Amino acid sequence: MARAPLLELRGVTKRFPGVVANDNVSLSLAASEVLGVLGENGAGKSTLMNILAGLVIPDAGEIVLDGMPIRLATPRDAVAAGIGMVHQHFKLIDTLTVQENLALGDRRWGRRVVDYRGLSRTIGGLARELGMQFDPTARIDRLSVGQQQQIEILKALSRNPRILILDEPTSVLAPEERGGLFAMIARLRERGTGVILISHRMEDILETCERVIVMRQSRVVGGGAVAGLDRAALVRMVVGESLPRLEHRSAHAGRPVLTVEDLVLLRPNGLPAVAGASFELRAGEVTALCGVEGNGQSELIELIAGMRGPQGGRMVYHLGSGRHVGPMSPEALRALGVAHVPEDRLRYGLIGAFSLADNWLLTNLWNAIFAPGGWLRPEQGRIRCGQAIRAYDIRAGGPAARLRTLSGGNQQKFVLARELADTPQLIIAAHATRGLDVRTIDFVLRELLRARDRGAAVLLLSADLDEAWEVADQVMVMSRGHLRGPVPLAATTRHEVGHWMTGTA
Amino acid sequence: MDDGHRMIRAFVVAVLAAVAVPSGFLLLAGKAPLATWGALLSYTLGTWVGFSDVLIHAIPLTLIGIGVAVAFRAGIFNLGGDGQLICGAVLAVALAPILGGFEWLGLPIFLVAGFVGGGVIGGLVGWLRARFGANEIIVTIMMNYVALQLLTWLIRGPLQDPLRIFPRSYALAIELQLPIVGGGTRLHAGIIAAALAAGLMQIVISRTTFGFRLAVLGESSGAAVYAGINVARVTVGAMVLSGGFAGLAGAVEIAGVHQRLQDNFAGGFGLEAIAVALMARLHPIAVPLTSVLFGVFYVGSGALQRQMSVPFPLVWIIEGVVILAYLGFVAAAARKAARTA
Repeated sequence: MARAPLLELRGVTKRFPGVVANDNVSLSLAASEVLGVLGENGAGKSTLMNILAGLVIPDAGEIVLDGMPIRLATPRDAVAAGIGMVHQHFKLIDTLTVQENLALGDRRWGRRVVDYRGLSRTIGGLARELGMQFDPTARIDRLSVGQQQQIEILKALSRNPRILILDEPTSVLAPEERGGLFAMIARLRERGTGVILISHRMEDILETCERVIVMRQSRVVGGGAVAGLDRAALVRMVVGESLPRLEHRSAHAGRPVLTVEDLVLLRPNGLPAVAGASFELRAGEVTALCGVEGNGQSELIELIAGMRGPQGGRMVYHLGSGRHVGPMSPEALRALGVAHVPEDRLRYGLIGAFSLADNWLLTNLWNAIFAPGGWLRPEQGRIRCGQAIRAYDIRAGGPAARLRTLSGGNQQKFVLARELADTPQLIIAAHATRGLDVRTIDFVLRELLRARDRGAAVLLLSADLDEAWEVADQVMVMSRGHLRGPVPLAATTRHEVGHWMTGTA
Repeated sequence: MDDGHRMIRAFVVAVLAAVAVPSGFLLLAGKAPLATWGALLSYTLGTWVGFSDVLIHAIPLTLIGIGVAVAFRAGIFNLGGDGQLICGAVLAVALAPILGGFEWLGLPIFLVAGFVGGGVIGGLVGWLRARFGANEIIVTIMMNYVALQLLTWLIRGPLQDPLRIFPRSYALAIELQLPIVGGGTRLHAGIIAAALAAGLMQIVISRTTFGFRLAVLGESSGAAVYAGINVARVTVGAMVLSGGFAGLAGAVEIAGVHQRLQDNFAGGFGLEAIAVALMARLHPIAVPLTSVLFGVFYVGSGALQRQMSVPFPLVWIIEGVVILAYLGFVAAAARKAARTA
């Protein structure tokens, strides 16, 4: 603590129409320090970081760098001041190569003709130093999410920042990629860089940070040296109260709800995305499906949810009183009691430009309450949607509000409310807690467990083993299209499942 | 409600631009803008003859515009209004000789044949898009040329008037002609068809699951797949309707105005209908209003050419400006929404 601060924020306040996003926020960061910033969705973390990145200009307060007040009016000012930012949503161009992305907007490599050789020499050296892979001619869309993030980080670091801000860097990473990121942060710190790490995950903070500040309702409400804190204390600071632990009652596995045999799906290039998967989902049981992004688990989910048809194998749904052989359309499946919380809520599950009420209708067109004989009854959508807003405490302007005005957490609550509305018998939930804050995660997992306890079969796609262990009864893993398991949770360990995911066992 | 305000503002801005920019050109050409606009308005809105011409022009524009709006809602850009109009007219006229035996049913069948003729062509485009991912913009534009050549051949060949003097088809029997509804003018009963179509499609779009599915597909193909919407079926359905209304416009034009096929009977309504649909913000019920507005410009420009020797292409400048102003306003509104969200 004796180190002189590299960066200080003093009493920074930012108001947007109708809301105060940052209220008298102060923080300090020393060289070679890793500072964690924790807080729920909407607590004001992003605004604070956008102020540091020169994207938002504060209404009041001071930004002090090396003891000198500075003004960050544009992103260029921030770069010049030595502040680098890696956004949660990557700002890379998919169809360009790594070196083209790195050269973009950076005039050091030439204004008209780009010196790619110089660029890859310089940045390649940096990558080696930090223990990263670097292939300058690879196209971005051929890289894994973790590799793309490394390129983002390299892009920020290539400008030699003294301060690096990482906005939720772990939310998209698989467990073993997370380890790589932390190792890189450790090396940056040895080089004297100050790092600000924003995260929802308490584990990230505990593992990498020296100090933490916690934001709630636009203010800094606490913080201190991480050494003296544990997970429960952090959660208490973030939420303002302690969350009761999820109690994991043992499941009463009932009859099979879905039987899958030898399911095969080929990618356009002829290689299998899903290579002969067989398993059974039973009523009253949560099955976690784990895997590193891109190993076929998303495709498996889409097959089960009816969004695409398989090239081989069988899916038998034992729903209602009957036995239904798939593939079936998502609409027919919903009518039988299948709920699907999709992986990417804004791409699949919701329409941002529609009202909440219309989004409610989106998956209910099969239902005679909402659409008898092909006629819409929007008022029913409004009524049900209004009930859900109250029951799930969704922060929205009402059923007529546009969906995109909701925060991510509230959008996810909305999807959950809609999908769980008609007591489904089979619930397919993909990355149901991704990008949510700790309180909303708790809520989502509780709802899924509640559905399980009343007899639904739940399939939970997750890249997060901690989450799987918190709610699942059995676990299965996809690795390069091959399915391993399911095995009861008691019969395996996180360590072993982690190895299955990376294909090292 | 916010949306309603924005829509009205976009409309007003587009109209103002449509007046302001051509005024500049009028000044350049040495004409007095105020007097010119005054002449335009007094003819189109001040005389019954002029206003009936406006309505006559607005009838096919409304029908095609409704079709354009339906397809746009599903995210499909149907630029083939002209070709579909021709195909509808051709099928209806080809069937005309055998419709004499149907008494009063003949005319409705004639109009339905027009709808079918356009709908088949539109549906074909929809199928090509759904099955092969064909770009409907390119396909519909190419279809316009195919239809035009088809018409050129038919009225010099199989469908030519028995005397074979002019390149035109035989005339429709009197029972197949739309009755005149505007006393002393040429205003025909097609106006009823256009009004009915606008009301009907407004209901389809806002109150049926089909209309809802169209909107879902137009907003997000991912959400459409997730929700279990049969994308191919909705795509083909939207294009059948879209082409169908253009084809109906063709049959209405024949039965109400021309009474026979001839060269150039399809006076480039297709592109105008796109502007009409855009300005109506894809609401079928608003399409008749924007069609009348464009009718005023179109008929008024014709009158100006005759009375004040202002060149007719003024109307194309007006149309271009309206589309640009409208799109500019929408883009500005979208950016504003993105900034404040």
